[in-house]
Amino acid sequence: SRVAVQAEDEGIDPTQYYENRIKSLAAQKESGINPYPHKFEAELTILEYVNKYEGLNSGDHLEDVEEKIAGRLMSKRSSSSKLFFYDLHGGGAKVQIMADARKSDLNEEEFTRFHSSVKRGDIVGIIGFPGKTKRGELSIFPKTFIVLSHCLHMLPRQRTGPGSEGQKITDAWIPGSGRNPDSYTLKDQETRYRQRYLDLMLNSEVREIFKTRSKIISYIRRFLDELDFLEVETPMMNMIAGGAAARPFVTHHNELNMRLFMRIAPELFLKQLVVGGLDRVYEIGKQFRNEGIDLTHNPEFTTCEFYMAFADYNDLMKLTEDMLSGMVLELTGGYKIKYHANGLGQDPIEIDFTPPFRRVDMIEELEKIANLDIPKDLTSDEANAYLVKACAKFDVKCPPPQTTARLLDKASLCKLLFHRSILLVGHFVEEICINPTFIINHPEIMSPLAKWHRSKPGLTERFELFINKHELCNAYTELNDPVVQYQRFADQLK
Amino acid sequence: RGRASAAPSTSDREAIRAIRIKKVEELRNKGLDPYAYKWDRTHTANKLQEIYRHLGNGEELDQSDCVSISGRIVARRAFGKLAFLTLRDESGAIQLYCEKERLQSDKFEQLKTLVDIGDILGATGTIKRTDKGELSVCLTSFSLLTKSLLPLPEKYHGLTDVDKRYRQRYVDMIANPDVADIFRKRAKIISEIRKTMESAGFIEVETPVLQGAAGGAEARPFVTYHNSLGQDLYLRIATELHLKRMLVGGFEKVYEIGRIFRNEGISTRHNPEFTTIELYEAYSDYESMMNMAEELVTACALAVNGKLALDYQASYASSDIGVEICLERPWRRETMNNLVKEATGIDFANFRGDVTTAREAALKALDATGVVESDRNSVRASPSVGHVLNEVFELVVEPRLLQPTFVLDYPIEISPLAKPHRRDGGLTERFELFICGREMANAFSELTDPLDQASQIKSSRKVPSESHSKFLFLQRKRLEEQVEQHRRKDGDDDSAYEVKVDEDFLTALEYGMPPASGMGLGIDRLVMLLTNSASIRDVIAFPVLKTK
Repeated sequence: SRVAVQAEDEGIDPTQYYENRIKSLAAQKESGINPYPHKFEAELTILEYVNKYEGLNSGDHLEDVEEKIAGRLMSKRSSSSKLFFYDLHGGGAKVQIMADARKSDLNEEEFTRFHSSVKRGDIVGIIGFPGKTKRGELSIFPKTFIVLSHCLHMLPRQRTGPGSEGQKITDAWIPGSGRNPDSYTLKDQETRYRQRYLDLMLNSEVREIFKTRSKIISYIRRFLDELDFLEVETPMMNMIAGGAAARPFVTHHNELNMRLFMRIAPELFLKQLVVGGLDRVYEIGKQFRNEGIDLTHNPEFTTCEFYMAFADYNDLMKLTEDMLSGMVLELTGGYKIKYHANGLGQDPIEIDFTPPFRRVDMIEELEKIANLDIPKDLTSDEANAYLVKACAKFDVKCPPPQTTARLLDKASLCKLLFHRSILLVGHFVEEICINPTFIINHPEIMSPLAKWHRSKPGLTERFELFINKHELCNAYTELNDPVVQYQRFADQLK
Repeated sequence: RGRASAAPSTSDREAIRAIRIKKVEELRNKGLDPYAYKWDRTHTANKLQEIYRHLGNGEELDQSDCVSISGRIVARRAFGKLAFLTLRDESGAIQLYCEKERLQSDKFEQLKTLVDIGDILGATGTIKRTDKGELSVCLTSFSLLTKSLLPLPEKYHGLTDVDKRYRQRYVDMIANPDVADIFRKRAKIISEIRKTMESAGFIEVETPVLQGAAGGAEARPFVTYHNSLGQDLYLRIATELHLKRMLVGGFEKVYEIGRIFRNEGISTRHNPEFTTIELYEAYSDYESMMNMAEELVTACALAVNGKLALDYQASYASSDIGVEICLERPWRRETMNNLVKEATGIDFANFRGDVTTAREAALKALDATGVVESDRNSVRASPSVGHVLNEVFELVVEPRLLQPTFVLDYPIEISPLAKPHRRDGGLTERFELFICGREMANAFSELTDPLDQASQIKSSRKVPSESHSKFLFLQRKRLEEQVEQHRRKDGDDDSAYEVKVDEDFLTALEYGMPPASGMGLGIDRLVMLLTNSASIRDVIAFPVLKTK
């Protein structure tokens, strides 16, 4: 029967473990061995190996075949000094290594000495033949076993259950499904974020999250490229701060002796390119806000902004629907996803991306839900007084100055703000937006870059897309009347 | 003859603006919207030119076959009952043939009085080729979509004020259609790089721009301050160390295309922010990166130019004649030592660490090339044979490497992040790619031994000054010395910056990084090469400029 060799490391002080490993490397160097080989020609990925040989029968051994694979050892077990079992992980897949002294190029003594020096976490290259154990576990039987890189620190262990025998060969998290943080080998959040490489190494779900991130961005590029949008790069450092919308990072160019601000949005540069004749442009890139850090805010974050000449916000709603529903379909195989809206401890909710998305008129919906009758002229004192009263009635707190825009919602001075106080609109309208919902036709007083509505006075042609009560997109028919734009900027600065 | 594209002087500008604002009012009074909401077009100008290229002179298509286009008016000639406008959109240009009797009521008068060069127009009409052979849209109706308030620059071919071109890039693009083409090619190059990387199985990741430690490099970083954390942050000068952490985390092929920042002087070759790709592949060595470099550059050349030969202007080659560059694979691969031997006859391998003899031999060889005194001084100051070799290489060989050349096996003294060469002691498995005498890429078999790495980083004395794509660590000591010197020189404490060895990166290496190779490639330089552009400002839409 197999004995887990955890005991070998268990109880050893981490510092002692580290020092032992350093000594062992130094000894190798001393004796003229390079412990960090330059190259190992892995001919198959682990996933390719698994796909190629998973059809073998239990007990099959293809001793004439030679395969070369490489990866990281995530577990080590032995049943005797002549037989060691390892799990080799790489690229989201894993396979068992069954190192048998009788199949090795090494003699028995060398074999035992070598394998007792191999540690969990080491990166190894294996040259060996494929086969399945009598229990039916696909394995590689090494003739040559090379340590390519050494894990000098003790890796955190999976505490629940022995080894990983119950795990599937590829237990990849699938986009759109619920998360399972209980399965994480590394649970400490601080360590996970500070040493992300450990998080990625030990928690396969996390690795899949980052692969999905990459696929999402790649999907957006493909979607926009197919519509003849051109990807451009605009400056991340500007001489003027991009408006009053968010606090920027400030830096200094020494040689030019020039103060520079990190961008908070690419909007104004992208519009200049549209003026220059690039009719459809987009930029996917980092934005920077010198603000607090919390669950949904990081000082740098990635956005996609796109601009489309000759189109209006109706066109953009359709485009947004197509982009997001198509993305969810491609990534998950359906339109419905699971999301832990109430924390990872609670069951996930379902969010349905089936197009078309619901569209609700901001003021109309607010009046309907809260049973209000807001005076039509939102610039009037009457409207302001009415809203102050409404906020008081519903116990919605609005810190001064209690302008009409602020009573309704936070003013949006550029495309993506991603922070808002829970005011009337937040309190009533956004609360009902679980499935993707367009909130449309915002008042002019809170939308300085949006074009006035072609038929509804006092409103603009603007939408925000809300999913699970969070703002995901913000879009307008762009204001392109320079005289009106100048006036709106001037009003904002008042 | 109507208002031609006459040249408005600066003093006219305000007058013209006032007139046009009046026209905006006039349009509104007529119930017309000078800033329309949208326009549905059926064709682009170029599409029409393509579809109807066989239409004979004087031929006109069925009046029921209506097309709809939109774009900017860039030229106009108006006569009594006839006007010719040139409309340009992103794809190209087409003539609008405007006859009074084909337009409703006072539309022709509106066209003559209210539409100016620079306005954006939506137009519908039928297709005809004039007797003179100009494919035209015969206007049946039009809508002013955007009224422009400022006049376009003189002749629309003629924006030659270089400074203005960069400061008002949109005017540059309207006036010089070729400019927009460079940005289209830039987009295509980056897109082609992504395609090539994806088909090779690489995953694109994003690593932080703002970092807690400058990490230390030859490049001076930008410093900023995070208010709520109450802490200085530094803008990244490379993506290398975070991408390597991804390798440690189990990603086997990763890349990042992104912005890098260096707080240094600006020139036709340097902008404080620029774009690079860095890529890392587990289980491979620098041979594999050479193939990747060939693959990437040739794929981009074919995508934007359709061929592997390219003319490149002389500025790089310091002569007045352009050179033809041939990107046909395979590219020359030669060691730095052999290239220097070829150019000077000196075999630096013979010096065996004797730096004094190496310096003497180098200075003697340089006599023949007429180098300046400061260059001779940097040879005299070189602390090791490796440094002398590199100095001679940079002075004598680099400018001659016009055709694509991989320069292999750099001295260990100047390559702190590269793995020692598996055969030649004192060298590393590193290459730089040169095209047109300019470094395009820098790659190594990555150093994976954390202990070796720690000592390399802490002891390396100097890194190449032009290491554009892989911004190497400098030893802590040297950087501190540098800062100290700077302080002494300027007496200006504000300009000093903190330099640290990235201890967290060294910890990551201790968890084990697979053997790997990596490469950095400067995308702006690649775009310059493939679009025949002399200045980095020509390939960056909004470059940083000195304050006027």
